[in-house]
Amino acid sequence: MLRLPLFRAISRSNGRLTSAVCFHNSAANQQQPQQQPELIELFIDDKPVQVPPGTTVLKAAAMVGVEIPRFCYHERLAIAGNCRMCLVEIEKQVKPVAACAMPVMKGWRVKTNSALTRKAREGVMEFLLVNHPLDCPICDQGGECDLQDQSMAFGNDRSRFTDINFSGKRAVEDKDLGPLIKTVMTRCIHCTRCIRFASEVAGVDDLGTTGRGNEMQVGTYVEKLFMSEVSGNIIDLCPVGALTSKPYAFVARPWENHRTDSIDVHDAVGSNIVVSHRTGEVLRILPRVNEDVNEEWLADKARFSYDGLKRQRLITPMLKIDGKLQNVEWEDALVAAARALQDLPPNKCAAIAGCMADAEVLVAVKDLVNTLDSELLTTEQEFPKSGAGVDLRSNYLLNNKIANVEHADVILLIGTNPRFEAPLVNTRIRKGYLHREQNVAVIGPKLDLTYDHENLGQSPDIISQIKSGSHPFCEVLKNAKKPMIILGADVLTRKDGDKILAETQSLCKNIEKTVKTDADWKVFNILHTNASQVTALDVGYAASLEEVKKAKPSVLFLLGADENIKKEDFGESCIIYVGSHGDNGAQIADIVLPGAAYTEKTATYVNMEGRAQLTNAAITPPGMARPDWKIIRALSEIAGHRLPYDDLHELRDRIAEIAPHLVNYGEVEPSNFLKQVYELAKTTQGSFLPDPIDIKQKSLDQFFMTNAISRASPTMAKCVQAVQKQKQV
Amino acid sequence: MSNPARIVTRQVKPLLSLNENEARRRVFGLYKAWIRQVPFILQDYDIPKNAKDLKMKIREEFNKHRTVKDIRVIDMLVIKGQMELKETVEKWKNKGALMFYFKDTVEPKPTDFMSKFMNGTD
Repeated sequence: MLRLPLFRAISRSNGRLTSAVCFHNSAANQQQPQQQPELIELFIDDKPVQVPPGTTVLKAAAMVGVEIPRFCYHERLAIAGNCRMCLVEIEKQVKPVAACAMPVMKGWRVKTNSALTRKAREGVMEFLLVNHPLDCPICDQGGECDLQDQSMAFGNDRSRFTDINFSGKRAVEDKDLGPLIKTVMTRCIHCTRCIRFASEVAGVDDLGTTGRGNEMQVGTYVEKLFMSEVSGNIIDLCPVGALTSKPYAFVARPWENHRTDSIDVHDAVGSNIVVSHRTGEVLRILPRVNEDVNEEWLADKARFSYDGLKRQRLITPMLKIDGKLQNVEWEDALVAAARALQDLPPNKCAAIAGCMADAEVLVAVKDLVNTLDSELLTTEQEFPKSGAGVDLRSNYLLNNKIANVEHADVILLIGTNPRFEAPLVNTRIRKGYLHREQNVAVIGPKLDLTYDHENLGQSPDIISQIKSGSHPFCEVLKNAKKPMIILGADVLTRKDGDKILAETQSLCKNIEKTVKTDADWKVFNILHTNASQVTALDVGYAASLEEVKKAKPSVLFLLGADENIKKEDFGESCIIYVGSHGDNGAQIADIVLPGAAYTEKTATYVNMEGRAQLTNAAITPPGMARPDWKIIRALSEIAGHRLPYDDLHELRDRIAEIAPHLVNYGEVEPSNFLKQVYELAKTTQGSFLPDPIDIKQKSLDQFFMTNAISRASPTMAKCVQAVQKQKQV
Repeated sequence: MSNPARIVTRQVKPLLSLNENEARRRVFGLYKAWIRQVPFILQDYDIPKNAKDLKMKIREEFNKHRTVKDIRVIDMLVIKGQMELKETVEKWKNKGALMFYFKDTVEPKPTDFMSKFMNGTD
């Protein structure tokens, strides 16, 4: 099967490139080839370096710290070699060679700063600039433009370009790629990075080139939307200002922004981000490199929904007076809430955690509710209590870690659409599919996952059939060396969720028996959709939504919980909403306490593989809003159950008491109790429901608005509109 | 500690005044000089105060140190007061520096959790 884009496949068959060169791996996960081939020695600027055969000159130079200028080369994409900026001189060779595409030979002496090299670069620069508009002052890329930087470093200091015929420079019509990407195609230097990204990483073969030479254009052939959930990355990839961010157009210059490192909370991947902000406003969000999580990509929802942080915000505490929510002071709101907490009988105070609650507020609320003699703590997305429940972490983590997804050879997705639930896990699967001949199968509805996969059907019975060996897919699993089963967290909220979980676990146990996997290879994985879910389960939000409803709590805390919660279910409860946005939850609340969004607080989030990471406060919460855990702490003091922590350090100490791994930032605590999980799964009773397995997010328009922030974002609304319009065409 | 040593430490060199009466006289001298300067201060500096305000303030500043008994400390304060007066008379001070005497009292920043929470300061 030919899965690679054609030019990649051809260059491979020529034997010019080895897989080590083609794409980037994190060192820890690099698969060791069977025999270590002999190293080749060559000299870069007279510095000796030893590299494996097949390494390109550019990579060898990078090893000794010599950076060769480039436009088209990108280490995570296939090599194109068409910009010619990386030309270098090699001793005893007639012509300069393109360093990004040339594999090294023994004893070569590469000169990266010789007269010939510099002249070659200058020539390339001059040709590029002849057809590049001089609109740097009105270009959004200004200040972070590769062409700008490299023309300063390697270009000539004067121009030979005089427009004697007054014909103007080459001009190209702009394309409409949708509401996220602004195009100024005249600035394009034809590096084809965006085309390669679209076809290799995003898996959407929409972009391409038409024409040749001076007439060459990058575009979508027919005018259409760039329909991808990771489309924003081509903005970062574009070395010039041809592709820029539409919402960020003409907003700020990069040197006047402040940058704060943070973590994305729109899905459970925990992508590392940089928040660019100025004058108390978030201006844009960019990805930050983390090889183990998001590599250097970012999903569109995480990148562009930041304008939702300014809309629909709760900025003052509110009380329901005469059936209407009215603005009040903090004192009044806290006293009203504290009054509701007085003299509660046991198990009459409950809390439901929303999808963006952080570890700090989860622990504070748990402590408060527990001091009020209640255990009614749950998450808006339920997790089955049967079997190991939340007692063993292996029961609810992506045990095999995100980085290992690309190393699997067979992946079975059950009731999940990683393309929209966790786009950066999906790019990993696609990577494995392209480079490692990965087989993917899905139990669930028909999906477009950007790679070929087998749809086994929608019935949950198929899990049992595979387990018993009567399903044809068993043959594929039997021959696998590194199989992975990924179970969606959303199917577990079904009535028969516990049965699906138990059956999948016993299937995994069978697979582990028949396939001899490595000791640290984990077959059983759960793909979460909510950023707060793993934290909540770690801390012990173990009750079910049904139990909470049945207990008829007098006081119900909603920690940003907006989904699945109806006023009718909690008719007699005093609902206290602690959150950042005025969404469904705030609407049904009796007391609204305004909290901070993820860009406004220093908070701990744990991603689906169990990696604790820290967001940093980029800006201050708007109006009278406060960091969530402080609200709970203040309320506890007024209610007479003072929580014993006054600042973040004391709170973190408390968190460490409950779960030490939650403050071990950046690390994944290995989950080692899968055997026990499989044993406990046997205790689960019940049977499957007849209804088929369904998935909430099936098409791109369902991807953009899934939580309070993205629902408040006008950019996301435009995306939904654009996708729906495109579908009608 | 033996008695003679204590006597030695107590017999220190005076700054200006040899006894309390002399110190008292110097204080009054400085006070009168300040009061006499009030109309000229109002003339020289464009401040939103009248003679009565200034006299009240001068009195207040002197009263701040009314409990001081040590002659050497009194002398030191008198010298400082003279320096202030000199700066005022010569217009070395600017308007803001003079108005610094009339600065509002500053509320101390809250340190306990609840007040910090209500203030929104961290």
